[in-house]
Amino acid sequence: MIRYAKSISGLLLSALALYAAADGPWFKDVTEAAGIRHRHTKREFDNPYADIMQGYTALGAAVAVADFDGDGYDDLFLTDSGVEGKNRLYRNEGDFTFRDVSSRAGIADSNDERNASADALWFDYDNDGRVDLFVVRFGASQLFRNLGDGRFRDVTHEAGLDRRRNAITAVAFDYDRDSDLDLFVGSYFQDVDVFSPDTPRFFPESFETAENGGGVAVYRNNGHGRFDDVSREAGFAISGWTLDLGHADADNDGDEDLYVAADFGADSFFVNNGDGTFTNRTEKAIGIDTKKGMNIDWGDYDNDGLLDAFVTNITDEYMREGNFLWHNNGDLTFTDVARETETDRTGWGWGGKFFDYDNDGWLDLFTVNGWVSAGEGNYVVDIFAMITTPGVDFADARNWPPMGTKSLSGYQRSRLFRNLDGTGFRDEAARHGVDSIADGRGIGVADFDNDGRLDLIVANADAEPELYRNEAPAAGHWIAFSLEGTTSNRTAVGAQARLTVNGETLLRFVDGGNSFAGQSSRRLHFGLGEATTVDNVEVRWPLGTRERFGPLKGDRIHKLVEGSGKAKRKDE
Amino acid sequence: MIGLALTAVLCLAAAAAAGPGAEAFESGGKLLAAGDAEGALAAMEEALQAEPDSLRFGSEYRQAAIQVEAYDRSIAFFEKLVDVHPSANTHLNHGFAYVDKIPAAGAITQIILANTALNHFAKAIESEEAWRTYFTRGASLLFWPKIFERAPLAVADLEEAMRLQGKDPVRSYHVRTYISLGDGYWKTNQIEKARTTWQQGLDAFPDEERLGKRLALEGNPLAAYIEEALDPNTRVDTDLREIWEAEESE
Repeated sequence: MIRYAKSISGLLLSALALYAAADGPWFKDVTEAAGIRHRHTKREFDNPYADIMQGYTALGAAVAVADFDGDGYDDLFLTDSGVEGKNRLYRNEGDFTFRDVSSRAGIADSNDERNASADALWFDYDNDGRVDLFVVRFGASQLFRNLGDGRFRDVTHEAGLDRRRNAITAVAFDYDRDSDLDLFVGSYFQDVDVFSPDTPRFFPESFETAENGGGVAVYRNNGHGRFDDVSREAGFAISGWTLDLGHADADNDGDEDLYVAADFGADSFFVNNGDGTFTNRTEKAIGIDTKKGMNIDWGDYDNDGLLDAFVTNITDEYMREGNFLWHNNGDLTFTDVARETETDRTGWGWGGKFFDYDNDGWLDLFTVNGWVSAGEGNYVVDIFAMITTPGVDFADARNWPPMGTKSLSGYQRSRLFRNLDGTGFRDEAARHGVDSIADGRGIGVADFDNDGRLDLIVANADAEPELYRNEAPAAGHWIAFSLEGTTSNRTAVGAQARLTVNGETLLRFVDGGNSFAGQSSRRLHFGLGEATTVDNVEVRWPLGTRERFGPLKGDRIHKLVEGSGKAKRKDE
Repeated sequence: MIGLALTAVLCLAAAAAAGPGAEAFESGGKLLAAGDAEGALAAMEEALQAEPDSLRFGSEYRQAAIQVEAYDRSIAFFEKLVDVHPSANTHLNHGFAYVDKIPAAGAITQIILANTALNHFAKAIESEEAWRTYFTRGASLLFWPKIFERAPLAVADLEEAMRLQGKDPVRSYHVRTYISLGDGYWKTNQIEKARTTWQQGLDAFPDEERLGKRLALEGNPLAAYIEEALDPNTRVDTDLREIWEAEESE
C-alpha cells in the first residue's frame, strides 16, 4: 500500500521550499512562437454510417517525440486524420523553435481513402541507432525506415506489416530479450473496412464486456528487417476494443510485462513468462472491470522501487467510472488508489503521463480530458435512450444515434497533478497554465531545450496542438541520461535506472511508447531537489546486466553506454 | 458480523410472522444462518409464493440475496412473482431487486437497471397510490444525473409523498421524505425550498444527522455531500424494515 506513514524526506522539504518560492505559472504556451503550424482534422466518412461514425472516431490526434536525427534535441511528429491531411515532422532547432521537414522526410502522406492516421511510434527496428517511424492507422499501418539523411523509406511491405488491423496504438520493446525491438499493435475496430464496411455489425456488442474489437497483435522482430505475427503463440488471444498498450517490468524480474487498456470492457494484464510467452493474469492482478480504459502509463509515483500504473477511464455526471491509479503491491497484484490520491475524477480521460515537472524527485501526473466539444446539445441523452431500449443490438451501427453537432463530455480541463510525497496529488493545472479545454488526446513529455525542465506537447482532436514550455523559476536540480545499448537493444528500451538522492531511491525506465496517442522522450530524467550531484546511478540494461556509473554531476545530460562503465557528456 | 446480525433478525421476524409463509420463511432464516444460501433463498421464495404481497418477506429475501450476491436470481424470482401476483408490494420489491444490483454493475448496466427499476416503481404507483410507492419512485428519480432532467419528476413524486405522510401519524421513516424532497429542490436549483424542507425535517426529527449535515453545509461542500449520497456506486439501503414494522404494528 501507499506509504502513508513515510517520513517527509529532506528532498521533499527542500523541494517544498523551492516550490513556494515561485507563484506564477510555470508553463507557457509557445506553440505559435515555436513554429508549430499544424492542425489535426478528423476523418469525414462517406458511407451509410458516416453520421454515426463521426462521433466515434474523434481520434487520431497523436504526438510522438524522438531525436530522429541524433543531434541531441528531441523532435516532434504530429498526426492528422483527414483524408487529405498531412502528418508533420518538426525538427527541433535547439532554441525552442521547430522546422517542418515533413516533405523532405517523405512521411507526410499517410492519409487516404482507405487509411487514417491514429497514432505514431518511433522505434529503432533495425537496431542501427536511428529511430524509425511506425505510423499507426485505421486501415493498415506503415513502417518508415530512417535513412539517416533526413529522409525515410516506406518498408511496410518488406517488414511484413501491411495487414489491415485498424490499429490505434503501438509500443515496441524486446519481449523475448533477443536484443531487437518487437512490435505490439493494439486495434480498436475488428478487421473490417471501416471506410466502406460491408456489414453494419461492426460496433461494440456491449458497453462493458465487448469482445468484438481488434485486440492485440504481437509482431516478433526476426532481426533481419521483418516481423512475424506471433500473437497466438505469445498468448494474446484477445479481441477487445484496445485503446492503449503499456509495458513495464512490473515484478522486477528482468522482462517486460504488458497492460492492455480497452474501451467497452475489461483491461488486461499480461505477465511475461521469460520464454517468449505471456500469461494473462488479469483477474488476480487487477480484477475484471467494465470500464472504458483509454490510457496506460507506468511510473514509480511513490518511490518504492516498483512501477505503478495510471489508467484513464470515463468520469462525468452520467458515468462515474473513475480512473485507476494501480499501486503495485510487488506480488503482481495491484490496488487502485485513484480515489485516495484524488486522481480518479478527471473527466472523459485520454492521455495521462507521469513526469517530474518541478524536479522534486516525485513523479507528477498530467492528463488530458474531454471527448467532443461541439454544440450545446448533449449526446449522452441520445446514447442512453438507445442503451435503455430493450433488446437493442449494440453491434449494429444502425442502432446508434447520429451525433450531429452535439457535444459529449466536452470542454473538460486538463489536469496537472502535483505529487505530494507519494501519498496523494493536487491539481495545479490552472495555476501553471495548462488547464486547456481542448479535446486533448496524446501527450509528449520532453526537455526540448535541454534546460533541465520537462516541457509538454499535447495533440488535440480537430484542433491545433499545444506546446508548453516549462519556465519554472524555482524547479529543483536535475540529472538526465541518454542510454545506449550495445549487447541489449541499441535504444535501451526496457532499461531501468535507479539513483539515490537525499535518502530516496528514484526509479525511471526507458519505455517504448507508453501512453495513449503520445510518445515521450526516451531520455531518463530525474529531479534532484537541492542536490547537485549523485553518488552513482545503477542501470539495469534490457538484457539484465547491472552497471553503476558515478559519481555524477547534476544539471546536465549524461550519455551512458552499456558496458562502458563511464558516463559521458551527452555530446561526447 | 453483518450476516449474523441479519440472520438473527430474520429469525426474529419469522418468529413474529403468522401467515401461511411463516414456516418456510423461518426455515430460510435458519438455513441462511447455517451458511446454506441456496436452501435459504429457496425457502424464502416458498414463503413469498405463499404470501406474495408481504412487503416484509420480499424485503428480507432481497437482503439475503444481497448478502450472497444473488442479484439475478432475485430479479428473476420477482419477475415471475409479479406476473402471478401484481401488486404494489410485488412491484416495489421487483424494482428494488434491480436497484440492489446497481452497485455491483458497471456504469452502463447501472443505467439500464435503474431505468428498469423505475418502470416497476411506476407500476407500483398504478397499483396503489401510497406514501411508499410515491416515495420510492421519487427517491429513485433523484439518482439520475441532472442532464436527464428527471429531478423535477422526483420533486413531484416526493411532494405527493409528503402530502400523503401528512395525513398519517408521524413515523420514523417519514424523515426520508424531508431529506429526499430537500435534495430534489436542491437538484432543481430551489435552494431556499431545499433548506426550508430540511429544516422542517430537523424540527420533526431533531436527532437526524443527515438533515443537520445538509443544513450545516453550503456551496461546493454541500454539493459534494449530496452527490456522495446519490452516488450509484454506493449501495442504497433498500431494507423496508421500518415500513413493514410500522404496518404490522398497526
